[in-house]
Amino acid sequence: MIDEQALLLVLPILLLQLALMIFALVDLIKNPNPNGPKWMWAAIIVLLNIIGPILYFIIGRRNY
Amino acid sequence: MKQLSTLLLKEWRENVRNYKVFWIPVVFILLGVTEPLSNYYLPQILDAAGGLPDGAVIEFPEPEPEQLLVAVMGQFQTIGMLVLVLAYMGSIAGERRNGTATLLYARPLSFTSYFLSKWMMASLIAMISIWTGFLAGYYYTAVLFSAVPFGDFLLFAITYSLWILLVVTMILFASAAMPSAGLTAALALTVLIIAQLVDGLLGSRWIWSPLKLPNYAAAFLDIGPDGGAFVGAVLLAIICIFGLAAFGIWFSKRNRSKAKV
Amino acid sequence: MNVLEVRALSKRFGTEQAVDRVDFELTEGSATALIGPNGSGKTTTLSMLAGLLESTGGEIQRKKGLSVGFLPQYPRFFPWLTALEFTEMAAKLSGVDPRKARQQAQRTLEFVGLHQVAGKKVGGFSGGMKQRLGLAQAMVHQPSLLLLDEPISSLDPTGRREVMELLKSLLGQTTILYSTHILNDAEEMTDQLLFLRKGRLVEQGSLDQVRSRYADPQIQIRFENTDAAERFVRESPWPATAKGAAAVLPVKAEEPVMQDVFRYLAANGGRVLGVEQETASLEDIFLKVVAEK
Repeated sequence: MIDEQALLLVLPILLLQLALMIFALVDLIKNPNPNGPKWMWAAIIVLLNIIGPILYFIIGRRNY
Repeated sequence: MKQLSTLLLKEWRENVRNYKVFWIPVVFILLGVTEPLSNYYLPQILDAAGGLPDGAVIEFPEPEPEQLLVAVMGQFQTIGMLVLVLAYMGSIAGERRNGTATLLYARPLSFTSYFLSKWMMASLIAMISIWTGFLAGYYYTAVLFSAVPFGDFLLFAITYSLWILLVVTMILFASAAMPSAGLTAALALTVLIIAQLVDGLLGSRWIWSPLKLPNYAAAFLDIGPDGGAFVGAVLLAIICIFGLAAFGIWFSKRNRSKAKV
Repeated sequence: MNVLEVRALSKRFGTEQAVDRVDFELTEGSATALIGPNGSGKTTTLSMLAGLLESTGGEIQRKKGLSVGFLPQYPRFFPWLTALEFTEMAAKLSGVDPRKARQQAQRTLEFVGLHQVAGKKVGGFSGGMKQRLGLAQAMVHQPSLLLLDEPISSLDPTGRREVMELLKSLLGQTTILYSTHILNDAEEMTDQLLFLRKGRLVEQGSLDQVRSRYADPQIQIRFENTDAAERFVRESPWPATAKGAAAVLPVKAEEPVMQDVFRYLAANGGRVLGVEQETASLEDIFLKVVAEK
């Protein structure tokens, strides 16, 4: 059912999602003062697809 | 204006180092491709979910590619705008509140350059976001369904860009006028949502309303908007952008004394 | 030559009069210490001079073309900029030629002892490092007036010493107005003292002037032994009291009666080891000023 065309179309999306997650995780690890416990944010970033990293960037990282 | 390049460099570094330059476009790209992808794979998704009883045959009407692009715009109008508001609500109010603005305001700062540097950077990222998002949506629609005439698509995206510039200006105006990031978001969202609602319900004759720009953008994918109404709305939108920016500059200067020392 | 003159400067927040008709002048190249308890209006005064707050009364006259550097009590930085990037930006925004700004920033960071961390992001800086960076951003454009709100109070003793020496080295070319509650330091670097209390300027003058105004009228004359001291108390015409091998006179050193005392001591023999006036420390004066009025 997953044909080659579908793979080619879906793959970039999966890569973008992965990149978003990795960026958020790297930033979380380097962040000395996240807005809440780190393990919680790690779980949110990994478990909530797309929304998790966005929530972290908006709420979790204290943009100052 | 001598300070503008200095402040722009600061804004650029901020947006790169807090990854906004990366993650906001990614969100818009994902919004852009979700619509065509999910429509294309809807039958298989339903099938995989085992939702259909044996023998049931449901005809999925093939969606028009224009409808898909309008649906993408619908995503930008809700989730996309929310993301922009949340990402830039603290631009000025947050800097004032956490005290980082003090060391800027204690200098002979040009508040015009200060406001414009923030406006330009937020606008740049918003433009990158909606264009990459729309182009991704356009490409996926073309591959999975059929291509919308590219000229129509350009007019659609350009018109919507003007609307987003107005939204970004509104956000920065609110951030200059309001005491905190939270109130900025509240003001910007309330104005945008209520104004659109009122315009939608009562404003059928307000043809020059900039709030109709998204509708006019969508119309370019169809038969095109009424020429006079479109030009009027564009001009009014540009006037609103200048007006909001001027008030934003004025407010950011007036509220400088509210910066935490 | 005054770089700044303040006349009847006032600031009202709602019903609270934070600064109340304050007058003073800053002479070029001098150091002025602004002293007062918490909430006495020091930060408000400095904020108005720095142009962060609008005054609600009075006026501030600045020398033509005066450039000002300001260090708030708790300077807050963008954590995502490096120390050098921030200082360079500060220099440019204060009008330093953009081509020279980076070099100027580097030199200033070296001056405050941050050259080794110039390329590090400020987000990881300790409180002391931030205070030094605060000083760097205040002086990077070589302003003729530095306004410093508690520049040393958050530093450890070594850092305090270093920063004091650094500030003292600027005097002459730079006029400094700083607030502090560490009075030992004020004693060390001050041409003028300003005492604020509840927004009002309750005492002002040089350290010596203020000292003599608040010094106890008490002269100690130290003799060789207790006998000599007691004989002076008994026989001299002044109401002295004995205190061990010393006699204590309730007069001030500059009073004319002291002439007679010296003449008497010379005529009546007996070795005098010393005549001293106990100098009041700024801390004592501070307590008196704050308690009075």
